[in-house]
Amino acid sequence: MDPAARLGPAQIDVLAQLAVSTVLLGGIYALIAVGLTLIFGIMRVVNFAHGEFLMLGMYLAFFAFTLRGIDPYLLLVVAIPIFFAVGLLVYALIMKGVIHASHNVQIFTTVGLSTALQNVALVLWSGDFHVFRPWESSVVLRMAGTAFNLSQVIAFAVAVALTVALIALMKWTHTGRVMRATAQDRDAATLMGIDTDRVYRLTFAIGIACVGAAGVLVSPLYAAYPQAGLQFVTLAYVIVVLGGLGDMAGAMLGSLIVAAVEVAGSYIIGAAWKEVFYFLLFIGVLVFRPAGIFGQRGAETLGV
Amino acid sequence: MTGLGAERWAAIALFAAAAVTPLVVRDTYILDSVILILLWGALSAAWNIAGGYAGQVSLGHAAFFGIGAYAAALMSARYGRSPWLGLAAGVLLSLGAGAMIGYLSNRLRGPYFALSTIAFAEVLKIVASRWRGFTAGSEGVPVPFRPGFWTLGLSHVAWLYLVLVVALLAYGLQVYLERSRVGYQLAGVREDEDAAEALGIATRRRKVQAVVVSAALTSACGSMWAQYVGFVDPSHVFSIDLSVRFALNAIIGGMGTALGPFVGSVFITSLETYLRSISSWFSGVGTGFTGIYLIIYGVVLILIVRFAPEGMIGIAARLFARRARAHA
Repeated sequence: MDPAARLGPAQIDVLAQLAVSTVLLGGIYALIAVGLTLIFGIMRVVNFAHGEFLMLGMYLAFFAFTLRGIDPYLLLVVAIPIFFAVGLLVYALIMKGVIHASHNVQIFTTVGLSTALQNVALVLWSGDFHVFRPWESSVVLRMAGTAFNLSQVIAFAVAVALTVALIALMKWTHTGRVMRATAQDRDAATLMGIDTDRVYRLTFAIGIACVGAAGVLVSPLYAAYPQAGLQFVTLAYVIVVLGGLGDMAGAMLGSLIVAAVEVAGSYIIGAAWKEVFYFLLFIGVLVFRPAGIFGQRGAETLGV
Repeated sequence: MTGLGAERWAAIALFAAAAVTPLVVRDTYILDSVILILLWGALSAAWNIAGGYAGQVSLGHAAFFGIGAYAAALMSARYGRSPWLGLAAGVLLSLGAGAMIGYLSNRLRGPYFALSTIAFAEVLKIVASRWRGFTAGSEGVPVPFRPGFWTLGLSHVAWLYLVLVVALLAYGLQVYLERSRVGYQLAGVREDEDAAEALGIATRRRKVQAVVVSAALTSACGSMWAQYVGFVDPSHVFSIDLSVRFALNAIIGGMGTALGPFVGSVFITSLETYLRSISSWFSGVGTGFTGIYLIIYGVVLILIVRFAPEGMIGIAARLFARRARAHA
């Protein structure tokens, strides 16, 4: 929902509001995209089921709030380990067996997982929209001619903190170095004594933890339903391709670009058509700059 | 070659069984099942031409299906003309769209190509659900039933034979790809594109041709589906679920084999119609049952690509080969 439309004709500086909306939205998209790009960069697998873990995060937050009255932002403390464990489990059961298989096998494994998870949600919780409003959603902050609600600000702040923590982990810790080494050359990493299976397991679990956390964070802002992940994950594909598959800094910039296109598009042409913009942007990038804005030219033809 | 010969006999048996069904039974439930098996089989065969034979794995074939479905539905509902004209218009549009997607496939491989096809289908879905003045938006288009061949208002028996012709056409196209020079060239492109190019194969042209033919056939089947089912709505005809389903039948049966898509369709379509019929007994849990067969799809897909990536035809061929060796 476009925050400017919800607020009505208060004294809002349009440009400032659009800029702030872009940044707030971009921060959340970044957290979704960063998990996807991490999994792709290291495991060379496009996780077509990524959005379904986001959807599960939204449901988790919904039920924790409505059944137990748990604040979604406090829930994160539990949700992140839960999704990390889910990631480990899915890796062990499903991904481990196809990590060295062909692209087709990998594509259809994650597509199958996506279909199965979506419909598990449909069977368990029906196709209805599940919406809840914690108190943070009713608090409006006004600053320098802009207005937005507290839920958006918290979601943004937490998402950025998690993304930055992940980038720091990749850059400065031993684990991060091991993961990057595996990404660069699987065989050489194995020869250096790196347990690549462990790296993949960790990578997948971290990626799922990120997107699960993102699901909890967006739950007060968007309705949960079985296909809820789809709208976000298609965005995440756009972002990740824009930034170059596997490039985390690129994903952050890609998130801002997509958020800007979305915010400006909804303002100028109307929210109904905004998706067309980023898909056209997506196809345009695929045609003209398939390796992403900063990506190495030619990566896409290797089919990595 | 025993396996291949056996596959042809199995195909003849399958299509012959479909052809005699109306002579034996008049039960619309069974006729409906056979029609849907053949139609979904033909759609998966169309997908298989691009995905299985040429290695251009698309997750956006619903785009062509939707173009065909809308072309036929709008032609008869909005303009009162024959849906055959709509079918033809849909095929023409899909030829163009297929050429565009095919061009993308020249630049992108593996997951990049699959992603771009998803995006393409999503764009069409959004356009169809938002362009209210032309497509009636997300409410969808009911297709009027006017009896007659020219208006495609047919009895179940007539539908069955019409769809059988389409299925045979799709099967024949695939057999052609297995035997012809073009087919070998496509196999070369699929297995090692650089090597194929080094041998002087026009790899780019072959890939685009495969996607274009596949798109046109998918569109034609989409038009027929719209007339048969009688209702077209954007969130279904352009959905990823549908694109996955085309691939699913082919993968379960055996990608890159002529009979595979039909074998897959026999299993998946019967499972679906069976579970649908159960769900009508338990009214009130309808959505639950839709979900259940889709959960089964997903799980079967994961298991098949993991443990039997060559599909059921592949398993059968292996068994035949083992038996032949035992006899020798």
